[in-house]
Amino acid sequence: MNTQRVWFAFFTVLALTLNFGFFVGEIDNPAHHNLYEFFFALIVSLIATILKIGDRSHLGAVLLATSLVADLQLIAAAVIWGYGSQVTGHVSGNVMASIVSLAGGAMLANVTSVILLIAETIQLKR
Amino acid sequence: MESTHRTRSRIRGVAMWLLLPRLKAPLIALIIAYSVSILGLVLIPGQEPGGGVYYLSFLDAFFVVSYTATTIGFGEIPHPFTAQQKMWMLFVMYSTVIAWLYAIGSVLSVISDPGFRRLRAYQRTVGRIQAHKQPFWIVCGYGGAGNQVIRFMDQSGIRSVMIESNQTRADTAKLSDMTYDLDVLVGDASLPQTLVDAGVQSALCRGVLALTDHNQTNLTIATNTRILAPRVLVHARSESDANTRNLRSFNTDVVIDPARVAARSLTQLIRKPRAFALYHELVDPDFNQIEILNVPDSGHWVVCAGDRLGDNITEAFLRAEIPFCLVSPEVSTIADSITWVQGLGTEANTLRQARITEAVGIVAGTNDDGDNLSILLTAQTENERLITVARRNKPTSEPVFRQGNFHYVLREGRIIAQEMYARITTPLLHQFIGQLEGMPEALVQGIIEKLNQRLGNQSPDLAHFDISLDAEDAPGVLPFLNTARGPKVADLLVDPGADHLNMPLICLLLVRFNGDLVPFPGEGLLLEENDRMLLWGAAGSHHRLHLLIRRADLFDSVLSSRRKTAG
Repeated sequence: MNTQRVWFAFFTVLALTLNFGFFVGEIDNPAHHNLYEFFFALIVSLIATILKIGDRSHLGAVLLATSLVADLQLIAAAVIWGYGSQVTGHVSGNVMASIVSLAGGAMLANVTSVILLIAETIQLKR
Repeated sequence: MESTHRTRSRIRGVAMWLLLPRLKAPLIALIIAYSVSILGLVLIPGQEPGGGVYYLSFLDAFFVVSYTATTIGFGEIPHPFTAQQKMWMLFVMYSTVIAWLYAIGSVLSVISDPGFRRLRAYQRTVGRIQAHKQPFWIVCGYGGAGNQVIRFMDQSGIRSVMIESNQTRADTAKLSDMTYDLDVLVGDASLPQTLVDAGVQSALCRGVLALTDHNQTNLTIATNTRILAPRVLVHARSESDANTRNLRSFNTDVVIDPARVAARSLTQLIRKPRAFALYHELVDPDFNQIEILNVPDSGHWVVCAGDRLGDNITEAFLRAEIPFCLVSPEVSTIADSITWVQGLGTEANTLRQARITEAVGIVAGTNDDGDNLSILLTAQTENERLITVARRNKPTSEPVFRQGNFHYVLREGRIIAQEMYARITTPLLHQFIGQLEGMPEALVQGIIEKLNQRLGNQSPDLAHFDISLDAEDAPGVLPFLNTARGPKVADLLVDPGADHLNMPLICLLLVRFNGDLVPFPGEGLLLEENDRMLLWGAAGSHHRLHLLIRRADLFDSVLSSRRKTAG
């Protein structure tokens, strides 16, 4: 068992699960979407990205790319959230809807990541 | 094999990806320190001035942590911190500042890493080589020979790419005075990848010169090039007979053994001083005059040389029947029929044993410059009329040898550079030099006199160049070939100006389309299509000749005026 692989898989899957947890619920209802869950989803996604750096295989490159997509989407959502709550004063249904839809996009990227991870694992010969 | 090659080039392709993994740990430390700090600030309750409880938003917390981590320190916002918040801030300060410095430090150490910088410099050079639009030669090894040959080639407008394994020498190479920016690849030329990076497989690569100081390296360069790029020419330096045979066995185009060439040059200098002077002028772009050394026919030579040079000179002198006395520390392996004196030759006593007072010349050819100078100075006090030949080993000793007024200085690097230059610039020159070896001295004398006659009483710098009578080079001459007007060699050597004076040029060699060689063709020889000619004369006269062979009207008037004077 390789500790590095454990952490790698752990963060990749955790990024997806947190992202999913945040995403479920009515799209424009702020009560259904937890701020802290979003914070952790973003941090875990960033750590997963760093862990993917350095693998120069083709699969490694695709994994890194999906992770970067997820980061980009989540950071965009965070900026909108911060702007909505701090500048306009409150998070309206419209703003929440765009935050959740961006997070939904990030989730798709995370799903791709996990599928690739599973595919790679199944291909292993031992 | 295929896959390892690809992996390798990918690594070379993006140096940044090689070093990013080293930044993984600091980046993760930074993210964790930030996220824990932000989370703590968000969760710990603060107190408003009015007494109410508030919580920092993520934006505020991120803001506070960011300016704390970067040691900017804007203060306590939005309200003065409570004791609880201050305790957390202490943790924030130490953890984030340390994580931040760790990350910055890692980035800086990666960027300033000597290995990383070398890799970047290497990649940039490879990139420049790939962007080349002009044909080039790859020169391996910036020693005495490499240094000289790239300068010679530059003077003929041929570009080169240098491979040198020693960083200090490579830096010197970059500073060399050239008309273009020399690309120097710092790497081991015996590795195939280095040759590939230097562009050996490029369509513009004309050839590889293996000039390193090690026989084995030169051999490896030659074999690698043969396989990587079979159409590319390979010229190699070799310093042992076994190595020479080895190189020849797989058709290395040119193998140059400096000791052998030096021995041949010396023989030529003594037996055929005119051919030697002509050869010397043609193959050395720095040497633009004909200087004939008068060597008395009789009398013996004193040769002070120990190593391979001694053996080669012995062999060459025996073959040319030049009487000589060898002075060397060890007994010669070649023949016991030769006169031999044991010693270095630095002492007058040794030289007297070699009958220095009756000798015509002395060759100081040991592998130590100090010894060579000592030999020559001692010999000159014993016999003032001696012809002195010095061997210069180290390029750094050049000033003394230049000032020493010796009749001839053997410079190993220069000898190699001359030989290679003669083969690289134009194939005609090399063919002519081959002819020159067998030419009687009287004919060479005739060539030189002919040129002197055309030069009149001037002595301009001399140069050689070649032309081909084809549609591209000589559209002005082609229409008259195979007609009744029958242009001859002499008709080309005429100034296209109004008076049609003879130009200070002579034709050294004419090569027919079918490969027939006509050395020193007579002026009445009829020209044919696709003839190639090697011309020699005053530097700069090729401009006028090129004008003449391009313009049919000029050539027509030359032909008419010459027929008139002849008729």
